[in-house]
Amino acid sequence: MSTPDVPGSRPGLRPLPGREEDLAELLTLVARGDKVAFEAAYDRLARPVYGLIRKVVRDPAQSEEVAQEVLLEVWRSASRFDAGRGSAMTWVMTIAHRRAIDRVRSASAETQREHKASTVAAVPPEGVAETVESRLDAERVRRCLDSLTELQRQSITLAYYGGYTYPEVASLLSTALGTIKTRVRDGLIRMRDCMGVSW
Amino acid sequence: MKTGRHDLHGLTGAYALDALTGLELDQFEHHLHGCPPCENEVRGFRETATSLAVAVAASPPPELRERVLTMASVTRQLPPEVREVPPARLRPARSPWLPRMAAAVAAAGVAAAVALGVVQSSTQHRLDQAQAENRSVAAVLAAPDARLAVHRTTAGGVATVVASPSRHAMIISTAGLPALSGGKVYELWFVSGGTARRAGLLPAPASGRTAPLLASGLAAGDAVALTVEPAGGTSQPTTKPIVVMAL
Repeated sequence: MSTPDVPGSRPGLRPLPGREEDLAELLTLVARGDKVAFEAAYDRLARPVYGLIRKVVRDPAQSEEVAQEVLLEVWRSASRFDAGRGSAMTWVMTIAHRRAIDRVRSASAETQREHKASTVAAVPPEGVAETVESRLDAERVRRCLDSLTELQRQSITLAYYGGYTYPEVASLLSTALGTIKTRVRDGLIRMRDCMGVSW
Repeated sequence: MKTGRHDLHGLTGAYALDALTGLELDQFEHHLHGCPPCENEVRGFRETATSLAVAVAASPPPELRERVLTMASVTRQLPPEVREVPPARLRPARSPWLPRMAAAVAAAGVAAAVALGVVQSSTQHRLDQAQAENRSVAAVLAAPDARLAVHRTTAGGVATVVASPSRHAMIISTAGLPALSGGKVYELWFVSGGTARRAGLLPAPASGRTAPLLASGLAAGDAVALTVEPAGGTSQPTTKPIVVMAL
């Protein structure tokens, strides 16, 4: 067992053995039309997919629509997942983030209907089914975010959770464009190392 | 402003977070395919972003599961990409994973297919009808300017529209609209500049869904609305729309 260079620099909560491998294996089966595998994949993916979309889109009804599109897209294009280009979870979350972003960036022209939708949708209870695993993940991410500088942290969270473009982030933080560009990258390098991402 | 190679490399972070747009996005993606270190860095950043995503996991409404599984059961899957030339050259410029519009249109097709599936399971007559409608549906879906809109209605349920202004046509299917009593119907309207034009009546729902309705006469800039009207429909809306969809 190897010791980290700097004790405590990594919270040490690597993904539990088998989680990622299972999902990649499930996607391989899904690509062959295996409905049972898709049900299992749904159960693994529904919470992260919906949670991220809720964070970006905010409106529960619209978030549900986008989540539905994304989860169906997983079924439809499972054959396009390539384990050589990234993890299965990242393949799915990249689709989810892009769809959420597409929704919020096209939303300004549709604010009226957004308002309408938000008045009819029930807000689902949050965190009821939260697992120990996801609590550990969240704690690790929080600790890694805390290790960034304020500007790095704000740049990353505004871009990723807020769905803002980096010029918009620069404007929100009253900071030069070039500075934001650098802070996003530096912040991600630090996050990556802190999280122990192996790519 | 000219963006140099070095500047482009610095955009890996913004790119991985989907924070680039327009020309800069195009420039960066062009650069990315010839820059293995950039590709590597983007991969690592995307994996990092995934941890940010997983940290905010939240349970969707439970009914989403059944809906997604049902739609999947009537959705044809994409075949794998079979490579004949070195993979780097085959990658689409926009995204390594999927063209968004095509996917959105496919999702609408799925919604239509779900409704069709229900129709097809009933009788031969309805099967023929459904197949004829399916061909028209396919023509609109295949139009290069086809646009998708999925909206919740104030009465409950979801309406899915695929519209093609160039074909002056649109398809609407619904799921979960409440059943109407006393012969009332859901009537579809094209709305433009405060005037509404009749666009047809939704078919009677089967298992809570209405089969795709193909409506012709769509003009560029039209919005689409649904109202509840007396049996047979009316020439002008008499009730407040349950949904208005800008296209």
